[in-house]
Amino acid sequence: MKQYYTDVAVVGGGPAGLAAALTANREGAQVMLLEREGRLGGILKQCIHDGFGLVRFGEKLTGPEYAGRFLDQIAESGIEVMTLAFVSGIDRTGSGYQLRVICREGLCVIHARAVVLSTGCRERTAKQVSIHGDRPSGVLTAGAAQHYVNLLGQLPGRRCVILGSGDIGLIMARRLTLEGAEVLGVYEAKPEPSGLARNIAQCLTDFDIPLYTSRTVTRVFGSERLEAVEVCETDSQMRPVPGTAQRIPCDALILSVGLIPENELALGLGLSLDPRTKGPQCDQRMQTELPGLFCCGNALHVSDLVDYVSESGETAGRGAADFARGRLPQAKTVPVQAEGPLAYVLPQRLSADNQEKTVFYFRAGKSCGPAVLRVRCGETELLRRRYRALRPPEMERLVLELPAELPAALQFSLEPEEPGEEGKQ
Amino acid sequence: MTRLDKLNRALEELCGGSVRAQAEEDGCVRLTGSLDNWEKIVQAGYLAARGKKWRGVLNDIRFTGQEIPPMRTPALQDNAIDGAQPDVLVIGAGIVGCAIARELRRYDLDVLLVEKEHDVAMQTSSRNDGMVHPGIDLKRGQLKQRYNARGNAMYDALCRELGVKFKRCGQYLCFEERAMRPAVLLMPLYFRLKGIPCRYLGEQALHQAVPGLSSSLRFALFFPTAGTVCPYGLTIAYAENAVQNGARLSLDTAVLDMQREGRFIRAVQTNRGTVYPKVVVNAAGVFSDRIAEMAGDRFFTIHPRRGTNSILDKRASESLHDIVSTMGALKTRSAHTKGGGIVLTADGNLLVGPDAVETWMREDFSTDAAGVRAVFDRHSETSPQVKQQDLIASFSGVRAATYEEDFYIARGIHTHNIVHAAGIQSPGLTAAPAIAVDVASMAAQLVAETRAVGQNPNFDPVRIPIPLLREMSPQQRDQLIAQNPDYGEIICRCEEVSRGEVLDALRRPVPCDTVDGVKRRVRAGMGRCQGGFCGPLVAGIIAQELGIPLEQVTKKGRGSELTAGRTKGGGSL
Repeated sequence: MKQYYTDVAVVGGGPAGLAAALTANREGAQVMLLEREGRLGGILKQCIHDGFGLVRFGEKLTGPEYAGRFLDQIAESGIEVMTLAFVSGIDRTGSGYQLRVICREGLCVIHARAVVLSTGCRERTAKQVSIHGDRPSGVLTAGAAQHYVNLLGQLPGRRCVILGSGDIGLIMARRLTLEGAEVLGVYEAKPEPSGLARNIAQCLTDFDIPLYTSRTVTRVFGSERLEAVEVCETDSQMRPVPGTAQRIPCDALILSVGLIPENELALGLGLSLDPRTKGPQCDQRMQTELPGLFCCGNALHVSDLVDYVSESGETAGRGAADFARGRLPQAKTVPVQAEGPLAYVLPQRLSADNQEKTVFYFRAGKSCGPAVLRVRCGETELLRRRYRALRPPEMERLVLELPAELPAALQFSLEPEEPGEEGKQ
Repeated sequence: MTRLDKLNRALEELCGGSVRAQAEEDGCVRLTGSLDNWEKIVQAGYLAARGKKWRGVLNDIRFTGQEIPPMRTPALQDNAIDGAQPDVLVIGAGIVGCAIARELRRYDLDVLLVEKEHDVAMQTSSRNDGMVHPGIDLKRGQLKQRYNARGNAMYDALCRELGVKFKRCGQYLCFEERAMRPAVLLMPLYFRLKGIPCRYLGEQALHQAVPGLSSSLRFALFFPTAGTVCPYGLTIAYAENAVQNGARLSLDTAVLDMQREGRFIRAVQTNRGTVYPKVVVNAAGVFSDRIAEMAGDRFFTIHPRRGTNSILDKRASESLHDIVSTMGALKTRSAHTKGGGIVLTADGNLLVGPDAVETWMREDFSTDAAGVRAVFDRHSETSPQVKQQDLIASFSGVRAATYEEDFYIARGIHTHNIVHAAGIQSPGLTAAPAIAVDVASMAAQLVAETRAVGQNPNFDPVRIPIPLLREMSPQQRDQLIAQNPDYGEIICRCEEVSRGEVLDALRRPVPCDTVDGVKRRVRAGMGRCQGGFCGPLVAGIIAQELGIPLEQVTKKGRGSELTAGRTKGGGSL
């Protein structure tokens, strides 16, 4: 069995992994980038719509174009890239980590001082959202539908119902319409859409595709090919309301009902996942609870913009390089706490040797109108910022200059604005 | 008052005047009339079967409540098997039919196995919990009991021969109420007298053996002979071994009619031609009573009973590691109601279920939210670690139950050249190996009435399975990849299935050309993403291997194409 030795092993060659590998390489570390598919780029390969890179490059790129910017650099970097390489497990050793890799050349072991997990996420399936009936063909996740249309040139159906107003669902509604399919509607069990506002406008409104909120698909009909779906109204708990069932003939049901970070490797190492982000807990360098193990991108938490995925990759790559080269001191950490209607704040803790500007990502747990975000450390208030509106689909990014010493936990709290408070500021 | 009068009086009470029972010359009782309530029709059948006063119950009460869907038949029409004159025609390629076909090849017999679906194990044989039962709730004298005991004992050797994973993990039957303790303490003796090894476990011993259990469970009986097997894996293995030994398999082939001459079936019509068998074996599952009727030899009625199981993420069984490593299968208190249990499948997923719902639809494999929820509610009482959030899939199967609630395994009475292996429901999987031995022998004897039947000297009971790379040692795996690099290219990430294994699935003795077929053979798409990632890849491999365009690749046969055709500029790949 072949053995390889490297400073940093990056698992997953999507946007997070590409950024992590490039940054670690730039920081002087020897890097191996492992990708289980035949080509780098991850899910960007099938995202042929535009809108990528607005934050990072100031222009609207397609997914492959966005990935291309990184791939060009990878080609010149000296990073060792292994494609069709599947990491089946990771073990801790005295000097770092051993990655068990399966590839066409056989099994091999990669010994790395530091590891970056950039394994992305997977989609929730029909059974997981309690859609019952038999199992006809024509029921597929939005990502699989996108794979068929954009990579294989196949149309998943001619009369499509889309469940879930997540971004991929909205983008597929437009894509299928452009390919000549009829999209009967996008159904969302929640009272409000879960995709980005710009996608609702550009993918649905512009194409006259109806959006039905507080409605969900409860059943599929047909045993060979999908013949129809049953749609019900939902109550405030997203449960179907009895007596509201309606049958809609269609030949494809496309699900955009949520993404789940892929963390089998982290779990295999004994890490526990944060129930709110479904990813490992990390510090501001994207280091998990295990020294030298970093996590970034959608494996850490599901992002809505690829620009932030790349950013977290860079942070993880830098941290991994520093760790591998012995430049990352083990410091005490303080927790980051989230209060009020905040879904989560990332990172979940800070190592106390904070020296630079720290990037935080957070998400509101529910839509709120004017609200004030306060960040405190003990008695000291570090930040107070007013937000006109916060919506769960839209991740917020915040850069804070923190004091060198953090005596206590960092507390993030979100408070609805008191009436009249607006006038005071 | 005669037994018939009594029955008619009871039916009158149950159904008003709309149902009548009449005695048939052959000792059966026939119920006629019409009702719009399916439950009542089933109750009427049970009423007639009570006390086993008749040779069999022919429940012909017409259901007027809803339209009963016709049997699903393949659209295909050709002459692929027209004119065939096999010694034995086996109808139905579920576990029973496939096992019989294989056992028949131990004799020098020409065997034709027909199946109306596009693959073997498409109905009940792939839609059950995979338990190999110790036979706890079976009564002495039942065929079920006899065949279960014999079949169970055959499993270790059989699965070794056929290259199928089988785990004899044992079954815990747990009890909650302390008051039952004295009775339960005596039960091991009772079971041992019935020939079923059994041990009593007190509270401490139980929770030590099965740490994930609910603390409300006080003591248990442990049955070491219980086990789990992949039911469709075993069916496919039987079919492959049968074909490898020269049995002919014709898929997409539905039996539509039969011609009889006197006491003999002479011709059997299918959508793929007419067959002239010496002997017919009825292993048609939920349709076995229809086949018996066609043959003029019906002594039972199938009343379909649907059961739904749910499969949990392998991660859930990791958290239940302590439970499952020592036991694997466990049932709740009430073994005598059809309550199902928690089973660790041979492939390492936890499975909960099944429930039991009487239905007039013989091929309704749908699941419903309320049923699945009820099963979870029930089993989370047994172990708090069983959570619906870990669900990755649910599936339903339909039991081929008779009103006698027993198997019907017998040579024909009115018709001479038929053998029935009918009414096979739980514990049919356990019993199938033993049933197959007996039915094959009965069929061979019938053929022997026309010509001498010897042993087949070339019979090879050993089937070489598709290599299971994820369970090999690194050295073995590395070696295999060196021989064939396709084994080193992972296609299904959740179940770690390689391109080489997918290709193997497409090149076996039993033809496989569908995404579901690949899934049942090598587990690509069985994992937590349910084929989200590997589905298009597997479809691509099938298209390439078969040399067909991607839009012709199906999920499970004609009519289930994966896509609706090419995109505007698509199909260049």
